[in-house]
Amino acid sequence: MADPVPAIPSNVHVAASSVLSGSQLFRRFFSERDPAVTIGAQCHLEDIQLALGKRARVTIGDHVYAAGLMILSEHEVQIGRRVIFSFHVVIADSDFHPLDPAQRVLDAIAISPLHTGAKRPEIGSSPVVIEDDVWIGPNVTILKGVTIGAGAFIEPGSLITHNVPPRARVLGNPAQIIGEV
Amino acid sequence: MWHLHPPARSGVEMSLLPDRRVRDDWFDGHVPASVDIDPQAYVESAYSFALCRAERAHAVRIARAAHLYSSTIFDVGTNGEVSVGPFAMLNGARLVCEARIEIGAYAAISWNVVIMDSYRLPCDPARRGALIEQAGAPLHRLVDPALAAQPVRLHDNVWLGFDVCVLPGVTIGEGSVVGARSVVCNDVPAYTLVAGNPARAVRELPRPARNPEAP
Repeated sequence: MADPVPAIPSNVHVAASSVLSGSQLFRRFFSERDPAVTIGAQCHLEDIQLALGKRARVTIGDHVYAAGLMILSEHEVQIGRRVIFSFHVVIADSDFHPLDPAQRVLDAIAISPLHTGAKRPEIGSSPVVIEDDVWIGPNVTILKGVTIGAGAFIEPGSLITHNVPPRARVLGNPAQIIGEV
Repeated sequence: MWHLHPPARSGVEMSLLPDRRVRDDWFDGHVPASVDIDPQAYVESAYSFALCRAERAHAVRIARAAHLYSSTIFDVGTNGEVSVGPFAMLNGARLVCEARIEIGAYAAISWNVVIMDSYRLPCDPARRGALIEQAGAPLHRLVDPALAAQPVRLHDNVWLGFDVCVLPGVTIGEGSVVGARSVVCNDVPAYTLVAGNPARAVRELPRPARNPEAP
């Protein structure tokens, strides 16, 4: 049984030579920017999820490979060229909820099914940038405000909370530099 | 109709049917000829072997009384070899194999575990970039043939918690336990509890007075 082909939003631009798949691809896609998503040539993005908020923008370069990648964005995610994502990588450029407990109560009410019309409190978000030629192992999580330098090698299972210099090899939770490539 | 658990049965039915389909399978596919499944092993679905590209006969061996549940994936390259020991349980692990992965008897492998004996692509970004551009699209299962894989071995009675990653070249000793979400990048001695990312020894575990016997 073939999966239903999801309608591609008009603000998503994909080069003709790229392949995308995923039953949940645009299930939580709310971006109103144009372009909201730009995907370069010769990409193979299998079982990808693009959960984008109203003001989110995602840019992906040429020759990017991913399987089971989940991008959660409220702001901006930039991915360079020849970046490899092993399966089950998560990128989030926002915390999605306030850290402050009192603000979090207001947020819980604002997003509740009561639809009170209350505005959500301000929530911190910061762009994620993954430069060219980065390799990212399985089960890696990349959090907001991080830049991963060109050629870096992210070992499986790492949690990236701080910038990674170009050509660094990192591992751990939180990830630490363990060498160079 | 589908079910979360194997159907109740008396005695042991062979999971592998004569046409190399799996009994009561939700997936429309066959088990490759390179996979040996013991008549007394349980395999939930042929989907576990949909990414198995091993070419050698007996490349993948599933021993007696081992049980593999649905989301366990054997992502095995053309020269890869995997052995799963008797009474081992794989409940949704992913094995990335280009050389050799051995899982001993009585293993308990939880969901979303990754066991890999190869990074498949070179660490050097320039060489990796050249390979990627050369491959073009679709870039499916790109493997550098020059890259040496490092076999992984889990001795008998190893328990891996959920979301654990075991990196290339690692050996885990008999009776050891790896806590959930750990990343194992160094060898683990026998009868040791390790946890963390990267994984570190937490304490020793009691050694049994004698080897466990099959019922």
